[in-house]
Amino acid sequence: MSITNNILEVNNLLFKWRKTNNFKLKINKLAIKKKKRVILLGASGSGKSTLLNLISGILEPNKGIIKINDTCITALSSKQKDLFRTENLGVIFQQFNIIEYLSPITNILLPCYFSLFKNKKISFYRERAADLGKKLGIEKDVLFQKKAKNLSVGQQQRIAIIRALINFPKIILADEPTSALDYKNKEKFLNLLFDMCEQENISIFMVSHDNLITKYFDDVLLLEKINEAS
Amino acid sequence: MIIHLAIKSLLNRKLTIALTIISLMLSISLFLSIDTLRLGAKKSFFGNVKSGDLILGSRSGEIQLLLYSLFQIGSPTNNISWESYKDFAEHSEVSWTIPISLGDSHKQFRVLGTNNQYFRYFNYRNKKQLEFENGEKLNDMFDVVIGSDVAKTLNYRLNDSIVIAHGISSQSLHDEFPFKVKGILKKTGTSTDRLVIVSLEALEIIHKDWKTGSRIPSVKKTNIELEKEDLKPKEITAAIIKIKSPIKIFKIQREINDYEKESLQAVIPGIALSKLWEIVSITENIMLSITTMVIVSSLIGLIAILYSTLSNRRKEMALLRIVGASPKNIFSLLLMEALIISICSIVASILLTQLLSIIVFPILDQKFGIYLEYKFISIKDFYFLMVVLFTSVVVSIFPALQAYKNSINDGI
Ligand SMILES: Nc1ncnc2c1ncn2[C@@H]1O[C@H](COP(=O)(O)OP(=O)(O)O)[C@@H](O)[C@H]1O
Ligand SMILES: [Mg+2]
Repeated sequence: MSITNNILEVNNLLFKWRKTNNFKLKINKLAIKKKKRVILLGASGSGKSTLLNLISGILEPNKGIIKINDTCITALSSKQKDLFRTENLGVIFQQFNIIEYLSPITNILLPCYFSLFKNKKISFYRERAADLGKKLGIEKDVLFQKKAKNLSVGQQQRIAIIRALINFPKIILADEPTSALDYKNKEKFLNLLFDMCEQENISIFMVSHDNLITKYFDDVLLLEKINEAS
Repeated sequence: MIIHLAIKSLLNRKLTIALTIISLMLSISLFLSIDTLRLGAKKSFFGNVKSGDLILGSRSGEIQLLLYSLFQIGSPTNNISWESYKDFAEHSEVSWTIPISLGDSHKQFRVLGTNNQYFRYFNYRNKKQLEFENGEKLNDMFDVVIGSDVAKTLNYRLNDSIVIAHGISSQSLHDEFPFKVKGILKKTGTSTDRLVIVSLEALEIIHKDWKTGSRIPSVKKTNIELEKEDLKPKEITAAIIKIKSPIKIFKIQREINDYEKESLQAVIPGIALSKLWEIVSITENIMLSITTMVIVSSLIGLIAILYSTLSNRRKEMALLRIVGASPKNIFSLLLMEALIISICSIVASILLTQLLSIIVFPILDQKFGIYLEYKFISIKDFYFLMVVLFTSVVVSIFPALQAYKNSINDGI
């Protein structure tokens, strides 16, 4: 396998919803270099989330190749994709980042449960969670409280960052994580996320319709431009 | 992990889930209780007929004779003469007989005239013999043995005095002839518990001054000298007959039915009762189908709950997918939730029915004479519960499949 400098590569991608829906995603080439922070801007409904779902292997493209860290995920079986996702991708959403009835720590460890802890002990991941928590300003008693219901939005988002990082991913996919935050909190959130990713050598691929935050990124892409079907 | 998720998610919806469990629990318990009740009623019904092979009586409806002579239910039958009875009691193929004479009452209880054969041979359910709680069988002329319900209800003890009323309405009393409680029987769970048992001879005496329902004023107790009177009964109501060899039962039955001196009939209790039970079992089946429908509706409730939460939980499922859950995991999560709900319901219904049986059985016994033996779940109940469990899981496949389908395309 040829070792490239790209953490993510999309080639000749074509995606259509199976139902009668005019939406089409056609991307000839999209590449993200290792350790880079890239933001993809697009209006709402332009297919940003759909693209992230394709990259994470939830959706299957009609045509094309998606490579993550030199693994061609479009060639994997759906079972392999599920495992690949937990082991290599961290994901942060705009909303609904936590399952309220689970404890914060269980929320964080969810990817580890599905990757069966990769032969490490659960205590290893608990310590890592506590460690990451300390860096992000989440106290241990917050982390290990019974239910995540009572967490503030800021705490929820930091829990989401810890969960995205817990399994040592190669890249973090983020779907408009800042659109619910005011300007000050956006900056705070992005700084935290970037700090952590820098420490752990993780690339970031964020999609958003918010062009006020582009200055924090190494690269800015426009979906309208790269989607040839639009 | 899936189990942990399922439990936590169910706990998160405590109220709706608890209501679902309660609804399932109640319907399962209803089914179990009705089944227990049905079997109990059947048992206490058939339990009375274990003693003899044939019931000898006058020609009337089979079922009428049976109900009247064994359960004291229904309308009285004609009497048969003592001579006819003797003919068969002394028959070479007959092992033993129990004569039965009915007609009088004491308070709300029936008086049964018989002899000590009754205590010796009458048995019920699994060859259980009558036993005395207190005292013993009839010895003197005016001794009486009472069933346990009689003793309990009327608060009688040994040596208490009892006056028997003529007929079933207790207006006119045989008050010149007080009886003395000689024995109190142990509880049997059969109609024997509600009997006041006297000797045939005593019945004969107290009716000396009676002629078909009205008292002859001239004849008073003082006029009768017990020893001199012919105490041989003239008539009895029926007799339980035990045949020496079972293969001769039909032969003797035919002999009785063909008896020339008097029109008699012999009923094989088991067969007659089965016929009766067939009629009863229609209601029984209706009851069972109603409870089955109640269970079905609770199961529909269960799927409704699972379906209704699906749309609310779509985001939750999508999150699970993103962190690595496969559609199969989502499917098993929902199935697991259904499984936990039905297991909880089943365990709860077992507890409830056990509790009910401890509380309700004695009440049923006292108030309705339905005696139910305490038991933990029977094999049949166990199969039934397994069927419920299986069905609930099978029906939950539909919402689980829906979740599976949703989760294939649901991600970020
Ligand atoms: N599950 C789905 N089934 C069919 N069409 C969908 C589905 N999800 C999104 N779409 C369609 O795909 C298009 C892109 O949606 P999306 O990727 O959510 O856009 P964005 O994230 O940029 O707002 C929209 O036209 C939307 O209607
Ligand atoms: Mg979106």
